[in-house]
Amino acid sequence: MKQFLNWFRRGNLERGLDRELRYHVDRRIDDLVNSGLTEAEARRQATLELGGLTQIREEVRDVWLTRWLRDFVFDLRFSARSFLRSPSFTFTAVLSLALGIGATTAIYSLVDQIVLRALPVHQPERLVLVDWKGDQLAETRGSFNLMSYPFYRDLRLQEHIFEGVFCRHATTVNLSTGSEPKPAAAEIVSGTYFSVLGVSPALGRVLDSDDDQAPGASPVVVLAYDFWKNQLAGAPDVVGRKVLVNQYPMTVVGVASAEFRGIDVGEVPSLWIPASMTAKAIPGWNGLSHRRSRWVQVLGRLRPGVTLAQAQASLQPWFKAMLDEDARREGFRSVTPERRARFLASTIELTAARQGHSALRRRLAQPLWVLFAATAVLLGLACLNVAGLFLARGVGRDREINTRMALGASRGRVGRQFLADSLLYALAGGLLGMMLAPLAMRTLIAFLPPDVAANNLQSSVDSRVLLFSLLVSTAAGLLSGLAPALLTGRKSLISALRDRGGTSFDGVRLRKVFMIAQIAFTLILITGAALFVRTLTGLLEKGPGFSTTSLISFGLNPRRNGYTSVEASRLIRRIQEDIRNSPVTQTSAVASMQLLAGGSWNNPLTIQANERFATDRDVHLNAISPGFFSTLGTRIVAGRDFDERDARPLGETGARSAIVNEAFVKRYFGARSPLGALICLGAGPNAKPNIEIVGVVTDFSYRGMREESEQAYFAIVEGAVTNGNFYVRVRGTPEKAFQQIRTLIHEADAALPITYLRTLDEQVGRSLNTERMLAALLGGFGTMALLLSLVGLYGVMSFVVTQRTCEIGIRLALGATRSSALGLVLRDALAMITAGTAIGLSCVWGLGRLVESQLFGVKPTDPFVIAAATLLLTSAALAAALIPAYRASNVDPTDALRFE
Amino acid sequence: MSSPRFPIPQGTLDMLILQILSLEPAHGYGIAQRLEQVSQSVVQINQGSLYPALHRLEQKEWLQAEWKQSETGREAKFYSLTRSGRKQLAVERKSWARLTGAVQLIFDEGNG
Repeated sequence: MKQFLNWFRRGNLERGLDRELRYHVDRRIDDLVNSGLTEAEARRQATLELGGLTQIREEVRDVWLTRWLRDFVFDLRFSARSFLRSPSFTFTAVLSLALGIGATTAIYSLVDQIVLRALPVHQPERLVLVDWKGDQLAETRGSFNLMSYPFYRDLRLQEHIFEGVFCRHATTVNLSTGSEPKPAAAEIVSGTYFSVLGVSPALGRVLDSDDDQAPGASPVVVLAYDFWKNQLAGAPDVVGRKVLVNQYPMTVVGVASAEFRGIDVGEVPSLWIPASMTAKAIPGWNGLSHRRSRWVQVLGRLRPGVTLAQAQASLQPWFKAMLDEDARREGFRSVTPERRARFLASTIELTAARQGHSALRRRLAQPLWVLFAATAVLLGLACLNVAGLFLARGVGRDREINTRMALGASRGRVGRQFLADSLLYALAGGLLGMMLAPLAMRTLIAFLPPDVAANNLQSSVDSRVLLFSLLVSTAAGLLSGLAPALLTGRKSLISALRDRGGTSFDGVRLRKVFMIAQIAFTLILITGAALFVRTLTGLLEKGPGFSTTSLISFGLNPRRNGYTSVEASRLIRRIQEDIRNSPVTQTSAVASMQLLAGGSWNNPLTIQANERFATDRDVHLNAISPGFFSTLGTRIVAGRDFDERDARPLGETGARSAIVNEAFVKRYFGARSPLGALICLGAGPNAKPNIEIVGVVTDFSYRGMREESEQAYFAIVEGAVTNGNFYVRVRGTPEKAFQQIRTLIHEADAALPITYLRTLDEQVGRSLNTERMLAALLGGFGTMALLLSLVGLYGVMSFVVTQRTCEIGIRLALGATRSSALGLVLRDALAMITAGTAIGLSCVWGLGRLVESQLFGVKPTDPFVIAAATLLLTSAALAAALIPAYRASNVDPTDALRFE
Repeated sequence: MSSPRFPIPQGTLDMLILQILSLEPAHGYGIAQRLEQVSQSVVQINQGSLYPALHRLEQKEWLQAEWKQSETGREAKFYSLTRSGRKQLAVERKSWARLTGAVQLIFDEGNG
């Protein structure tokens, strides 16, 4: 380490040594002159005694810097000088590496942030996520790893395993901190949340177990640090202030520490609300104390020394006993014996949760690894390209190298020069890549949907990413410099010095091997890109099953603004009326669930047709107003749409009629007509089918663009719908309609926020953002790969032509035609392309399986896609080879022979 | 080069430098002269190897250096022992004593 520091103060050291040595010599001369020698003789003897000042200096420098480091620094300096002499070469090499390293760094940064990084809490490696394997027989709210709140309470008692247990539920509330209420991301948490995570307050206090006792008893919240800084300007007197959560007053008791942003990287909450206040945080829902209501994620902190496997094994007996007790409990759901058996056979499963819990991670982990693999391939390609360039340049340096070796340099010493070259390139490329990376990261993050909850993704390069980038750059430098370094001085010096033009056979062969590998890599990337582009275009072509032109949607949630369900329902009817009468509206309708937003209301149904049976899986349900299908432009293929007849008499609840989609009919009725059959929610023996199927509608997308699911629709009847998703087909531009709708809602209730307002085209775009990200990035990587390998191929073919100029000249002189010379070179190129393609195709075949689940409407071995990719690559590669080939055919025989 | 002189045994130069500096701080030329005197021209020291050795010892932090006025009035680089240098000298002295003691024993046995 010291040696490195010495490097920076070597000027000082040199001056000091000079003075020191001069003093020695001068004193010695003085002494010798005093003893009677002449000045000249004294100087001679003094110098002789020391044995050469230059040598001493060198030895002392070796002490300062160590031999190895000094040599390396000289190599680097030599490399830097020679780079500046050939700027175009340097530019190509550095840019190739910068693209590879920049892309790898950007994707790695996202992989790190979303998939790998641990939460910034106390000992995150001891956190585990608790999950239920089997059937919970529960009503569901939210998605992924859901459990009931009483289950969390029970689990807390397992103190011999857990140091602590907490639960959380992510939701959106209307939050008002003095001004108009705005939607804000909130986390409903158990009182143990902060203490188990080990998160301290930045101000005031965090929530504790006292806040989570009797339901409704602790109207308190803790604010997130960023929210407090940005929305409340970091007001120092925030503790003790009242805020309105869904119009209900709650007291701010503290602000959480700055670095803590919740446990989900994809959803950063603005505030934390104790679970005891759930009824206020989720108006109209109260499953808090319900055992058959799954809605929270439960996480625990293992006791020190308890392993995951031990914990999981020792929890099973307790869990079994709980299941038995639950099943005997009064009012346990009546279900089929099979489902009851499945419930009783459930087990508890623990998974490590050092990164917390994230829906975003579940959705993006696989696509991100695909992209990461793609950038690795791209970087490999860039390295091969630079190695190829080095080999090509090595030819020009043959004489220099052979001279160095003739002067006594070892092969290792000269080889090290090559490594220094490539390392310097790679570090320069890495530096440039690192400058490009934040830009790329911003673009990547922009592909993620902007939602109420901000995500916690940063586009800056932090120390982990920096380290990664440095390692990758060094590895890239070593890889691209290794082959040229190993090739150094393989032939005998004498023949090397005598021979002027060429290099050894090894050089050509190695270069061809590189080229074949590049072609193979490129084919993999191009095929991957084509598959994902095909997936995206396939989904866009297929469409959501309804026309999105001039169709807009917006959402209202009056319950979050203090409305009772009756008031909310009345408001929604009123707004529906206003919208229908607005001049911008062609047709409009309301649905209780939003389309293409990832979620659905789902339940198994019992069907009573000729026989009675339950659906074997969940049916996706929605409640809609009459005119919904005609607004979307979907067709009723049998029966009729809803109308006034479907409304229940006042005082009666529940639907009386239903419309199902074609997929539902196909699965449960086959060729028979479903009209007149009765259905109802639930699959137990107590279910009473009393809802008549009155119509069949064509299939269209509900949760996302990919799925083809069974769907059933019920009519919205008065009092049944308290939050509204409006669908409006508008006249004129959507912007004009947006304006109109905002005014309309402002008139109805100035304090009611619109949860979203966008065109259906945008909604489709949002639901496809993962697909779009994969298609765009892989397309970009594929293009870069193609360019890199074309440059490489051009370089190699030019080199081959130069090597064979003489041979071609002789052939031409002996009467060969120009076209045969052209063919000679092209045949060479074609052989490489074919070999590369063959290798690439077998890799595609192997890798395809890994990405299959990400694809839609196309198999990884789709012959059309593969043929197109191969054709593109082959023709582009042949075009790149054509230029040198053409030059070969134009060789002037006399020139070529003189060259020899 | 009148009488034949022994080349200095490998590795002992560092020890000798430490020993000389343990008496008082000195500059390079002073150390060279002192070596010449105390070894009574029996041991041959290549003066050229003195400076790399000094810098090596300084790098190991057994020596520290300081520019000071010398006896002739010119500035010279004076070396002195650090605490760890003193420790090192003690270690080397002990191992030297053990080595020479052992060699002596072997010779004595041969004579006896």
